[in-house]
Amino acid sequence: MSRTPAHDARASGIPMMLWGAFLTLAIASWPAMAQRDTTRRDTTTKRARADSARIADSIAVVRELERIRTEPRAHDPARQQPSQGAPSNPRMLPDISAVGDLIGDLSPKGSTQEGGERFSVREVEVALQAAVDPYFRGDVFFGVSDLEKISIEQAYLTATLLPWGLEVRLGRYLMPVGKQNTTHRHDLHTIDYPYVLQRFFGDEGLKGTGIYASKIFAPFGFYQEIIVTAVDRFGEPTPGLVTIEPVNKQLSGLGYSARLRNYWDLSQASNIELSFSGITGKREQPVLGGDPTLGTPARQSVVGTDFTYRWRPLQQGLYKSFILQTEFLQQLNEKDPTLELPSGVPPDGLLYGGPTRNFTGGYAFARYQLTRRGYVGGRFDSFQDEGAGGSATNAVSAYMEFFPSEFSKLMVGYERYSPAEGSATNRILLQATFALGPHKPHPF
Amino acid sequence: MFLHRLTKHVALGAALFAAPFAGASTAQAQLKVVTSTTDLYDIAKAVGGDKITATHIGEGYQDPHFIEAKPSFVLQLRNADVWAFVGLDLEIGWMPLLLQGARNPKLQAGQPGYVDASRVISVLDVARANVDRSQGDVHPLGNPHYWLDPENGRRIAKLFQETFAKLDPKNASVYDANAKAFTQRLDAAERTWQADLAKIKGQPVVAWHTSWRYFAEYTGMNIVGFMEPKPGVPPSPAHLASLIQTMKQAGAKVIVMEPFYDKKTADFVASKTGARVLVLSPSVGGTKGLSDYIQLMTSGIQQLAAAL
Repeated sequence: MSRTPAHDARASGIPMMLWGAFLTLAIASWPAMAQRDTTRRDTTTKRARADSARIADSIAVVRELERIRTEPRAHDPARQQPSQGAPSNPRMLPDISAVGDLIGDLSPKGSTQEGGERFSVREVEVALQAAVDPYFRGDVFFGVSDLEKISIEQAYLTATLLPWGLEVRLGRYLMPVGKQNTTHRHDLHTIDYPYVLQRFFGDEGLKGTGIYASKIFAPFGFYQEIIVTAVDRFGEPTPGLVTIEPVNKQLSGLGYSARLRNYWDLSQASNIELSFSGITGKREQPVLGGDPTLGTPARQSVVGTDFTYRWRPLQQGLYKSFILQTEFLQQLNEKDPTLELPSGVPPDGLLYGGPTRNFTGGYAFARYQLTRRGYVGGRFDSFQDEGAGGSATNAVSAYMEFFPSEFSKLMVGYERYSPAEGSATNRILLQATFALGPHKPHPF
Repeated sequence: MFLHRLTKHVALGAALFAAPFAGASTAQAQLKVVTSTTDLYDIAKAVGGDKITATHIGEGYQDPHFIEAKPSFVLQLRNADVWAFVGLDLEIGWMPLLLQGARNPKLQAGQPGYVDASRVISVLDVARANVDRSQGDVHPLGNPHYWLDPENGRRIAKLFQETFAKLDPKNASVYDANAKAFTQRLDAAERTWQADLAKIKGQPVVAWHTSWRYFAEYTGMNIVGFMEPKPGVPPSPAHLASLIQTMKQAGAKVIVMEPFYDKKTADFVASKTGARVLVLSPSVGGTKGLSDYIQLMTSGIQQLAAAL
């Protein structure tokens, strides 16, 4: 395979990026190392200082107790002492939570679920989250479903004390590409990810394992955030395909993504977000005319833009809100990739079987809050279907959501799916989700 | 010549690299304080005076449990010196996202700039046994609506005075004088409330949410029922039917509610019981004219006394 100057430049730039990210993490953990060094140098002077500090602390405690005793007391003896007296988590256990995502499929012509079930536990997600030490936070999400065994959905370490508004993560996370891909599937306002995301990234969204760095800034007076990642690979391996070398053998074969978020408040009640993102990397693609397991690496990229408008009047915010969201993505494929075959396999008669044209897709989604606990929404999907030579597949869906509380959700959805080839089908879907454990922040 | 060019390039590169971060290093004369609610904001302003700049995340007419974690709030927090919040999980639905997004080491738990005002409060309704969500949206650490007792207003002012003095020692005497002046104004206002408090004491009322527990403790109003069957749970027909009976038996003539709840439901109950719906602001800025903490307390007490 020939290497172009641009290729070389990319290849030399990528290790620099990786070293940069590691350097950032090293800076983050420097205070920890410095602290360890100083604690080794324990001296009599230090011990004397510590003793005086303890005595001073004791005097301060006695004075504080005297102050509390002389202060006017609250009227009710049932009142508790100020809350600092009783730590809520003395054993420093991590926050443990679980989310159940249950699906029913009452579609008239049979289940449309991956495994053909009418009712299934699509996923149970168990999360462990806590500060690791003064410098890092840890988040681990396990996923369990009817179809798969336990999997690590996300597991990442976040440096919390970096300067200049930087955030760096190491681990596995939802890739910051597009808008809805950054949302857990059970937190969506629809039952599934939009079709364009399912086709380009997979049914469960796109995750990656690697380094994540983001910076917030506001040079023009509004919120902007740039997020870049370098991950082990773009997407999951294609089942049943073997390439001569792993797609990520060269650093240029890793997955690289970038996302620029722009956010504006239009008023106290309404705001918009306009963002741009892209990801590139090498993926296995099939080779036709020989061993069906034979694959070859080819570059694939996805670029896109997304727009979200939100309205929630502050005073009636419990009862009224509206979201309009749209996203367009384009998948860019190599037009004429070189076949990389194992030695001894003659190239005669073998053809590249992956996509050689670009595909576009998008969706528009809206949701209106009717009552304190009830919402209605709808989505229109359209994407160029690779399996139908790029002809458009469309889907229209409508949803009703009911939230008995912040911790449970019931949803019913109807969808009319019109494939590029074949007849349209109707889907009737039910969903129930529930959350156990500590109160989590509401997704924005 | 080469060395000269190299130096120029290095200097240019360093300037370009440093440009985005330049704003962060400029010296700030005033403490930047961000509070979660307007009540904390007003007390912080009273104590900090012109030595601080203050902003708030929530508005007085907004339910503080359900504020959206908008990125524009992240910008407010990223350069702040102080983040003051009510605590007891009042802000749990949005505060973690904002603090994580802000990436401001000064606002990390344990830092002087991380001010949980509840730590100086004698908290009501702390769970004495295990609680779970079958009891509604309970706050196991206690009821967080404590600012509606002026004694707690004083405590918050003292906490701010100590915090600001620690972070900005050169203006410690100003903070001390301002806190004392605030307390004196509050004491003076409190003396004018006595006649109204006497009218309120022991009178049965119904409240929408548990947010009026501290106010009731202070004023002596007797909350005989809540519009919510459980904290955070909207009223059901069965609960309302039971509440109407309770109100008739207890002789409750006032339903106290916040401006952000659905008044139609309260009006319905009032129509069945002959009671009056009193929309009281639970926070500064909740209704027009309530521009400070002392006005908030004065207005609440006066309106309630007039309604009874």
